[in-house]
Amino acid sequence: MAQVSSADPHDSAEQAARIEKRWAIVIVGIMALLVAVTIFTGLHWAMMPPSRVETIDPSTLHVSGEFVESNLGSAVEANGSVTVRIIGQQYSFTPQCIVVPAKTPIVFRVTSADVVHGMLITGTNINSMVEPGYIATFKTEFDQPGNHLMPCHEFCGVGHEAMWANVKVVDKDVFAKMAANTRRLSCDL
Amino acid sequence: MNSERPRLISLRNPWFTASVGGTLVVLLFSMFVGFIWLPSAQNDALFKGLLDSICSAAGVPRAWLSETSPPVTPQQPVSSVVLTPEMLIGPDTRGSIGRGATLALRCTMCHGARGVSAANTPNLAGQYGPSIYKELRDFQSGARTSAVMAPMVVGLGDQDLRDLSNYYASLPRANSTSAPSAPDIVATGAPMRNIAPCGSCHGGMVNKLGAPWLSPQPRSYLKDQLEAFAQGTRHNDISAQMRNIARNMTPDEIDASVGYYAGNK
Amino acid sequence: MISNKRLVLAHFWLAFGVFGLAILLGEWQMFIRSPLHAWIRDPDLYYRSVTAHGTVMGYVFPTLIAMGLGYAISELALDQPLVGRRWAWVGYALIIIGSIAAVVPVAMGLDSVLYTFYPPMIGNAFYYIGVVLVVVGSWIWVALMGINLHVWKRAHPGAPVPLAMFANVAGAYLWAWTAVGAALELLFQILPVALGFTSTINAGLSRVLFSWTLHAIVYFWLMPTYIAFYTIVPRAIGGRLYSDTMARISFALFLVFAMPIGIHHLFADPQVGAGFKFVHSVFTALVAVPTFLTVFTICASVEIAARLRGGKGAFGWLKALPWDNPQMLALAFSFVLLGFGGAGGLINMSYQLDSTIHNTQWITGHFHLIFGGAIVIMYFAIAYDLWPHLTGRAMLDLGLIRAQLWLWFVGMIVLTFPWHYAGILGMPRRMAYYDYTAPGMAAEGITVVMSVIGGALLVLSAILFFTVLYRNHSATRVEPAPFTFSKAVHEPTSLPLALNGLGLWVALMIVLTITNYGYPIVQLIGLHNADVPAVFVGAKR
Repeated sequence: MAQVSSADPHDSAEQAARIEKRWAIVIVGIMALLVAVTIFTGLHWAMMPPSRVETIDPSTLHVSGEFVESNLGSAVEANGSVTVRIIGQQYSFTPQCIVVPAKTPIVFRVTSADVVHGMLITGTNINSMVEPGYIATFKTEFDQPGNHLMPCHEFCGVGHEAMWANVKVVDKDVFAKMAANTRRLSCDL
Repeated sequence: MNSERPRLISLRNPWFTASVGGTLVVLLFSMFVGFIWLPSAQNDALFKGLLDSICSAAGVPRAWLSETSPPVTPQQPVSSVVLTPEMLIGPDTRGSIGRGATLALRCTMCHGARGVSAANTPNLAGQYGPSIYKELRDFQSGARTSAVMAPMVVGLGDQDLRDLSNYYASLPRANSTSAPSAPDIVATGAPMRNIAPCGSCHGGMVNKLGAPWLSPQPRSYLKDQLEAFAQGTRHNDISAQMRNIARNMTPDEIDASVGYYAGNK
Repeated sequence: MISNKRLVLAHFWLAFGVFGLAILLGEWQMFIRSPLHAWIRDPDLYYRSVTAHGTVMGYVFPTLIAMGLGYAISELALDQPLVGRRWAWVGYALIIIGSIAAVVPVAMGLDSVLYTFYPPMIGNAFYYIGVVLVVVGSWIWVALMGINLHVWKRAHPGAPVPLAMFANVAGAYLWAWTAVGAALELLFQILPVALGFTSTINAGLSRVLFSWTLHAIVYFWLMPTYIAFYTIVPRAIGGRLYSDTMARISFALFLVFAMPIGIHHLFADPQVGAGFKFVHSVFTALVAVPTFLTVFTICASVEIAARLRGGKGAFGWLKALPWDNPQMLALAFSFVLLGFGGAGGLINMSYQLDSTIHNTQWITGHFHLIFGGAIVIMYFAIAYDLWPHLTGRAMLDLGLIRAQLWLWFVGMIVLTFPWHYAGILGMPRRMAYYDYTAPGMAAEGITVVMSVIGGALLVLSAILFFTVLYRNHSATRVEPAPFTFSKAVHEPTSLPLALNGLGLWVALMIVLTITNYGYPIVQLIGLHNADVPAVFVGAKR
């Protein structure tokens, strides 16, 4: 390789290096700012991605434990919060229609009975993988009543395109009335 | 090169100290934030305290369900069969099939001499073994009710059920009379009503473990079962996987799918 | 001077050949799930197509490009004939065998598991074996690149390693290490189940291992593009490379920071703790640094070209650039696409913003913009630059080339921008059809139609691309000027050890992989109660 030593005097190389260094500092600064924003939002809104690792045997969900069929859906807890338990399976969520109150702390407990699924609730930032062997636990709160779609967002087999559920967020009082009659709620037909 | 290598990994090499030191600083800082600072903002007892916060943020498995109402137990018996891909694979499949053939003599009245039924009872020849086994167990436990089948399975041991399942699975399937082209509800389902194509579970495209092969089965049997799933009177499908489908089908769609899978039976 | 022209040409033609087939699959997928087509009556055909498209575009195509370019660089930059020519052909053969072994069962419907494998779904073993063979074939290339550099260094003790070769070997080592994640998943988790030795698998562990490969693989795809930015474009447009040192630092940083960041794909996963998610998020921010350095250095290099051509003023020099030069055009398009894709990427890597778009069509849009857009457009540019040297014939269709690049650029934007939007609306990925009549989904139909149009432009562009290459093979014979790489303003006469070899950076890469991946992997390996039964696909009818 030709080693062209620059005919240029020494300082043009130095000047170039100086400009580069300045640029590098600016870039690192921008990235540091982005990370700082992440940290700030993480502290201010206590926002953090799922971190609650817990295992479960997917082949016996229906036999015993909290994911037996009669225990799925929304449960009102003593402290006023609502726990929603959902199973993802080829090719539906059970319950198919999830009903939750607005302006109430909600804990989701979701797991899969077979393959990897995912769930997102349109119009919100609720988004979780649903994996066999693990329980996804996350906390959230819905601002206002409304209807949302809840597709499975991870390829789970040939019927994946049909795996859609619905989420109904209802007024707190309406939900309380519904909960008076039954211990586990869903809006399945 | 050998003589130069020590100089590369050396505290006197500014490239080494800067890159390793810089990386280390970033790593330690991000670990501090990710494992200690951010978790501390979480409103959750299991993130409080240094050790808890580090363990939880590291992903150590623990029970995350605190203060909760006790599980609601089922009102009616549900299936308790555990399905796994190798559930019927034993050391002696051939022997199992042989024993099954003997046991099956009691079934011939309704299900035909070779598993092909002449009556309105299901064809069992070539049915997926796990599907047969699951239904037999559900008849035994009462998860699936049938006045005819309940007495038939009394007294059969678990190995008997396995043998029967292996036997019927080994028989050649009845010829499905030239299939008409699939109606929409069978081929595409209805995604927004959460109805997947039938073949994505019942064979044709994929067989979902525990789901039966449907082609051909008697028309009235298929229709009765679909309607029973839709109304919830049959509820031995694990975690409502079939009720979820059936209750969203219209009567016309039930007829169309039954017609397709029954062929001219 | 390339002495193994057939070897290089074979790699490029095979790469572009499979690319041509896969792009047709891609456009077919867009079409059949758009409102322009009724719902497909066998959705498995769609998933087979997605599996094939992803496998070819993700594994086979870019690997062959990197290999072909790598062999060319080794000879051109080091000015020595390739050591291990036979082995190179063995690697090539392995890739052909592996591709066939993988694609045939996919076409038969036995392996509709997508290129991301998705255990516990398990398909026919031949698909996975095929993928392993492709990787093994490419590892032969990795070894050859290392050996060739070593041979050269021994013959030229202390001399600065040419930048192109430095970058090329950095890419090879990056690939060698990043492929290990998926290799572990395939060899120790998936294949034992697919071959019937065991029937359970830890799906959470699989996802972690796959993320080891899946993010860094993007930087492996990117390497040929960056090599072109630094070592081809400035020369082709009559400029100088602004800084050789900065180029080396960029490649070294890619090597270090591309690896320990893959868990940002798993932000929404329940099996990894938030601590590691945050650490990976921070390192993902750092990997943007070498890209920004590159943008600066290349813009400066381009400015030099403009000023040498008489460009004046703070921005006036832009007008003096040789815009009719395909390399200039490709570079500009690549930068624009990289800019948009990178901006989207900043959202994906954010610990909190990700949850709005995780696993939606936004992601599909993002990586098509980066890979299909910024990266592949430079693959075209590389081919245009190298072809006369491989065929010994003149590249005459400059107009056609410009049209091809424009079409690709516009097509890629029309394809991916609507995807991003659909993702924000919550449209999930990888579905064979959507019911656009449903309330809440009506707005998504039009975005898919736009993407179909974008895809059609890309197909058209690909046809033009093949026309140009094909016509070159029968163009007038010329004796092309000797191939050169860009010269830096200040060519290095000697380099610090750290920038004249990759030892330090490879070591840092491995150490960071251990710190960032070690605990999650070891912990999940021990988590036997998360071993779940396999779900076999496509086997029983």
